[in-house]
Amino acid sequence: MQLSRDALLQAYRQMRTIRAFEERLHDEIMKGEIAGFTHLYCGQEAVAVGVCEHLDHEDMIVSTHRGHGHCIAKGCDVVGMMKEIWGSTEGLCNGKGGSMHIADKDVGMLGANGIVGAGAPIAVGAAMSAKLDGKGKVSIAFSGDGACNQGTTFEAMNMAVVTNAPAIFVFENNKYSEHTGFEYAVGTNNDIVSRAEAFGMKVWRADGCDFFEVYETMRDVLEHVRGGNGPAAVEFDTERFYGHFEGDPQRYRGEGELDRLWAERDCIKIFRQRATEASLLKSDELDGVDEEVLALIDKAVDDSRAAPRPTPEDVQRDVYIDYF
Amino acid sequence: MSDIRPFTMPKWGIEMTEGTISEWMVEEGQAFSKGDLLCLIETDKITNEVEAEFDSVLRKRIADVGATYAVGTLLGVFAPEEASDEDVEAFAGGYKAADASGSAGKKSAPQAQAPEETPVIQTNRAISPEALKFAQEHGIDLDPIIGSGRAGRITYQDVYQASLPAAQPVLKGTADLAIELDAFFASPLAKRLAKLNGIDLAGVQGTGPKGRIRKDDVLALIKPAAPALAAGPFSPSPNPAKVQRMDRIRKVVARRLTQSKQDIPHFYLRMTVSVEALLALRKTANLVLGVKASINDYLLKACGMALAKHPAVNIQVHGEAIHSFDHADISVAVATQSGLITPILRGVDEMRIEQIALASRDLIERAQAGKLGHADLEGGTFSLSNLGMFGIDQFDAIINPPQGAILAVGGVKRALVEADDGEAAFESQLALALSCDHRAIDGAVGASFMATLRGFIEQPETLFEHSC
Amino acid sequence: MATMLYRDAVLQTLHAEMERDESVVVLGEDLVGGMGTAGGPEAIGGIWGTSVGLFDKFGKDRVIDTPISECAIVGAAGGLALAGKRPVAELMFADFIGVSLDQIWNQIGKFRYMFGGKSKCPAVIRMAYGAGFNAAAQHSQSVHQMLSGMPGLKVVMPSTPADVKGLFTQAIRDDDPVIFLEHKALYGVEGEVPDGEHLVPFGHARLSRAGEDVTIVATGMMVGMAEAAADSLAEEGIGCDVLDLRTTSPMDEEAILDSVEVTGRLVVVDEAPARCGLARDVSALVSELAFASLKAPPQAVTPPHTPIPFARELESAYLPSPDKIVAAVQKTLNWR
Repeated sequence: MQLSRDALLQAYRQMRTIRAFEERLHDEIMKGEIAGFTHLYCGQEAVAVGVCEHLDHEDMIVSTHRGHGHCIAKGCDVVGMMKEIWGSTEGLCNGKGGSMHIADKDVGMLGANGIVGAGAPIAVGAAMSAKLDGKGKVSIAFSGDGACNQGTTFEAMNMAVVTNAPAIFVFENNKYSEHTGFEYAVGTNNDIVSRAEAFGMKVWRADGCDFFEVYETMRDVLEHVRGGNGPAAVEFDTERFYGHFEGDPQRYRGEGELDRLWAERDCIKIFRQRATEASLLKSDELDGVDEEVLALIDKAVDDSRAAPRPTPEDVQRDVYIDYF
Repeated sequence: MSDIRPFTMPKWGIEMTEGTISEWMVEEGQAFSKGDLLCLIETDKITNEVEAEFDSVLRKRIADVGATYAVGTLLGVFAPEEASDEDVEAFAGGYKAADASGSAGKKSAPQAQAPEETPVIQTNRAISPEALKFAQEHGIDLDPIIGSGRAGRITYQDVYQASLPAAQPVLKGTADLAIELDAFFASPLAKRLAKLNGIDLAGVQGTGPKGRIRKDDVLALIKPAAPALAAGPFSPSPNPAKVQRMDRIRKVVARRLTQSKQDIPHFYLRMTVSVEALLALRKTANLVLGVKASINDYLLKACGMALAKHPAVNIQVHGEAIHSFDHADISVAVATQSGLITPILRGVDEMRIEQIALASRDLIERAQAGKLGHADLEGGTFSLSNLGMFGIDQFDAIINPPQGAILAVGGVKRALVEADDGEAAFESQLALALSCDHRAIDGAVGASFMATLRGFIEQPETLFEHSC
Repeated sequence: MATMLYRDAVLQTLHAEMERDESVVVLGEDLVGGMGTAGGPEAIGGIWGTSVGLFDKFGKDRVIDTPISECAIVGAAGGLALAGKRPVAELMFADFIGVSLDQIWNQIGKFRYMFGGKSKCPAVIRMAYGAGFNAAAQHSQSVHQMLSGMPGLKVVMPSTPADVKGLFTQAIRDDDPVIFLEHKALYGVEGEVPDGEHLVPFGHARLSRAGEDVTIVATGMMVGMAEAAADSLAEEGIGCDVLDLRTTSPMDEEAILDSVEVTGRLVVVDEAPARCGLARDVSALVSELAFASLKAPPQAVTPPHTPIPFARELESAYLPSPDKIVAAVQKTLNWR
């Protein structure tokens, strides 16, 4: 394990922040204070963090409608995100985007996306740009087991191969595309990444609930892609702890499924277990992080409630840089 | 009586104004039943059969075959057998058009048939309810109408259009593209306006997007900006009267002019004279004489000389006595700050141009400085008022009593005239109007004076003869 | 002033802008042409001849020949633009926009707004549009009416080689996403083009004929037809303003209203059907804002509400023509 103690604590902090951010959202949404649709990433934190801990701000990612985790892992300001979801003008997108469209180009986050499968072509374009710049930067498309069935994803994978673009297709298989099981919807023997293989890419598979496995796998993937060997793909086996959207009654879940997932497949629990068992980190250190994170989320919510609201004049702002 | 009914020229379609009886199908005195043909009527569009709408007898046939009658004209009288001839005749004789605009006789008159029922139009074409209603109310023929609605449905607009007379568009034609102004970032109309009004766009700061020069930016340079109007309906500013007592001069002027207009029977003789020669001569004469004699000075001279020739115009009227004079003492109307003053140039008929020029300037200066004495204002045998310098073309003046006439002079105008060779030419003209007191001066006398005056003005060298 | 073809104005502008700014990148299918064939790169040079020589001069990373994947082409353009490049993507036929519509409509057109104005998307999506070649229903359409209704996009329709240069240069340098529509029937049209730098700002209509009786609004290939109509009407003493909108988003509403306030009569010529399109849009604008000036109802000269037919007779019956425009002008003049 090459991660320093600080790096490990940082990774844990990131995962914990995503978890706390979303669990708080889950509560606040139940209270009816937040408008619109929200899709929680909870359960998949190890993937976002395990991937993004390798990246700097010049590496770019394109996310999905389930994007809070990617945003936080890539470095978006958590308070700004919360304010955005609250619809404030101080939100990361001035209250124009909301949960599904959080973006921050300055940290290399090119946007969550409300359209399933729309991100992959955009990531390929960003990869073309990275290739042209020649600085060894990469572009990553996060896709789920739903987006993997969109033609756009296929077009994007083929185009990345044809143009030898430094694109990485990260497939997070959380077993559900909205309310449909992957065993039904993914035609290639339930194997997503074999499709990328068929396009001629080098591919990897790993357990997405184990941060250490994600992190190690991504080291190899990135070494390959940064080396100018063209695009690559990786599939992570992961879990979705909440419904497709907040308010989803989840009648598709099996008996005791969620209890089993929380007990056996919680990436944060697994991280703590492995880190403490290997004496890399102490429990009270991790508890300390938990407290700091919860305080940050409290502050984010308090700030969001107090943050300025947009006015009707804001409706017409920022459609164009310069229309007439 | 109530069964006596008029038969009038029907109105088929909004454009029908008259119709011609081409054939009668029933004779006078003949009974008919509902549905029987009564007659054939021809219009400039169609020939229609007129069917009886009830049973009756054609008791009186008024309209002649081949003759044309205005819509509403009484063509005949229907009445049952039992109605007396006298009643029928009385009805026909007393028949009055319901339509006041109709004139009597043939091509006239009365909308007779009791309140006409709206004709029902049967059509299987698609038509909007309002369109059908309008067509029925106005008797519009649907056949020639091309429906503009979906699948040819006739709209209200289609029928309404058909009811109107054909358009006579007034064309304005093509305009200047102002291509040479393409380099400027300006809207098309702004460029056109700039070229039309000779505005240099180089100096114009556009207020449109990205600094584009807009129509308004150019208009602002063409006319002075109108005062900014406050929003909302117009509310007039308070407009109280400022009371000022008339001063002495104004009182005199008011009294004398009122008296003049009330007591003196004015008549007016107007004419236009050519000053082409006078203007040309004035240039050289002024050089030679070394003075700046104005047109007015030359006119004073001409008046003086003409008055000397026409003493019947060079007069004062005192009660029932007419005083005539050998020499012309001409009052010159001068506008001053305190009002109209008419100082007098005496012996104008004998003065030379340069003397008139000097004297009139002196009078005018003294008048405007308020330094005229009683002697300058008393008397006078004629007046001359010139408003040409104010851009007035022509006007009539009020006689300055006790004088008998006043000459009103307008400004010099360039006018198109037929030259001696028959070609069109421009010449400078002056409009003169002589107001005369008819108690003392007859039309012919005034006219004769004016003819002489014209002679002096149009042959200005004669103005110098006397003084040579 | 040099005389050149509409097509060459596209090509030369691309060469000039790629030389000027190395962030300009082009991508599209068959843009290079001949990739992976015995003929080799540049065997074709783009089916419209609008990318000849780019590959040799600027290389494969800036001249990206893509597979036939319209959605990925536009999406990649979006990604390139977000990442700081100035991509010029070519969709070949405007009709293929359907395949890539999500990326055009939901992605590149909305990035800026959704992201609270904190990013820009300076992407140009070029496409050849328009009828006149009997290419039938899937290769002849005019798609501007649909795209102009999408806030966030700018839509450009040059009608002359000079405007190609001025508007295309502006499009490439513009920081917003621009749909650049090239009429395929105009590619072979010749015209004078200003030398040196030539930019035409968007939303600035061009008056190509001036008259005070009727306003004719047109775009693209319809401009030439409107001019032909105006010229024949001028012989009868009827003066027409012919306004070439140049861009349908933004649209020069001011020029339209200014003109109608003078003429009082409006004819809109469009190559797309009137329903929910530009013709009715301009008519509605004028009805709403210049009602007091109108002497006759606005007239739309457009194709019927049908797909574009193949047979020569059918396609010419489908399209507007100078005669149809003259008839519409006469109708406004004969309004009672």
